[in-house]
Amino acid sequence: MTDAGLRLIAAALAVGLAAIGPGVGIGIVFNGALTAMGRNPEAEGTLRTYMILGFALTESLFIFGLVISLLIAFGIV
Amino acid sequence: MLRNRLTWIFVGLAVLGVILYVLGIRMTKADLAISAAAEPIWCIGGHLEGAHCSEGTAIPVTNSLIMTILVDLLLLLTIIFGARNMQLIPRGFQNVVEVMVEMFYNFAASVDRKNIAKFFPLCATIFFFVLYSNLFALVPGVGSIGICVATHEAGEAADHPSDVFAGLPGYCGEGHVVPFLRAPSADLNVTLAFALVAVAMIQVFGFQALGVGYLTKFFNFREGFMNAFVGILEFISEIVRIVAFAFRLFGNIFAGEVILVVMAYLFPYLLPLPFYGLELFVAFMQAFIFSVLTLVFMSIATIAHGGHDDHGHGSHEGAELAGQGSH
Repeated sequence: MTDAGLRLIAAALAVGLAAIGPGVGIGIVFNGALTAMGRNPEAEGTLRTYMILGFALTESLFIFGLVISLLIAFGIV
Repeated sequence: MLRNRLTWIFVGLAVLGVILYVLGIRMTKADLAISAAAEPIWCIGGHLEGAHCSEGTAIPVTNSLIMTILVDLLLLLTIIFGARNMQLIPRGFQNVVEVMVEMFYNFAASVDRKNIAKFFPLCATIFFFVLYSNLFALVPGVGSIGICVATHEAGEAADHPSDVFAGLPGYCGEGHVVPFLRAPSADLNVTLAFALVAVAMIQVFGFQALGVGYLTKFFNFREGFMNAFVGILEFISEIVRIVAFAFRLFGNIFAGEVILVVMAYLFPYLLPLPFYGLELFVAFMQAFIFSVLTLVFMSIATIAHGGHDDHGHGSHEGAELAGQGSH
């Protein structure tokens, strides 16, 4: 196993594993927002704002994984 | 009638694709040259050495810089042609421009009606620039037409499926293509610049609304250990926002381009089609998310920190936002 090969595995694992949690989390965020919109359509504007905010905060975890993966893949760390 | 014609055009293109595929005009593994960084096309004060600028170059003009200027010009042209001889009852192109601006304005107003006049220019600029640059990433030719730069050893030609492909004029067999144009949002420098501007303006609006009191959101040592800790966490998350903004846009658009290239390699002519549709949606969604997040963070920064009541922080913000949204 060469260093380059290990780097490829590490980069793939970093981005792949980082996608699991946020994937579930984004699903829960949208699930909650859509359920709430269905029950109370008048609150849609406010809910949409918080939905996008929650989506962004959840997705930023995945972005950390992506950054680490890019750093590994291009040999910066 | 139109539907029928579109079907025939699609079938014709599919047949043409199959013929080209059989002739061997398709991507090979050697053509999968993906560069995460923008590549210089022209070096001011230096000269081009392969895919890099020589030392002592003042300004390397990269392909994404050229595209950024093009996108700026197109935005300006849109507004100039949209606002030329404006009429009270809009017709034609003026109507299109008005609908785009008004839809975004109405959404922004539903987020924060009080400060909309202050926030709208920056958020709309971000929205339309990012939307244009994401959409122009999908124009055929962007990222695929360019200069051939030799990277392989001489004599070590790439394995191409047939001589028909290799015989075409402009075929780049012994190297990779450095494209003339590259989508601005697929360059980390552009997205990082936008993220820095957005986060800096969030702080500016926060100071404008709350004065020096805005700093108590981050450095709050008077109300116990817990609040001090939360303040430091807020400070860190403010810095993380820059990284998140920049990499969200860059990651999505760059990954989209890579997906299109890989799909074009796996099954040329047909498989990229559904992904084109997906990328159109992603292009709009990412522009929307970037601008609306800027707007939401700005609107939160202008709301006073509810530190005096321990439990009321979240509900206070919620009540205020709900109050603005329901007008």
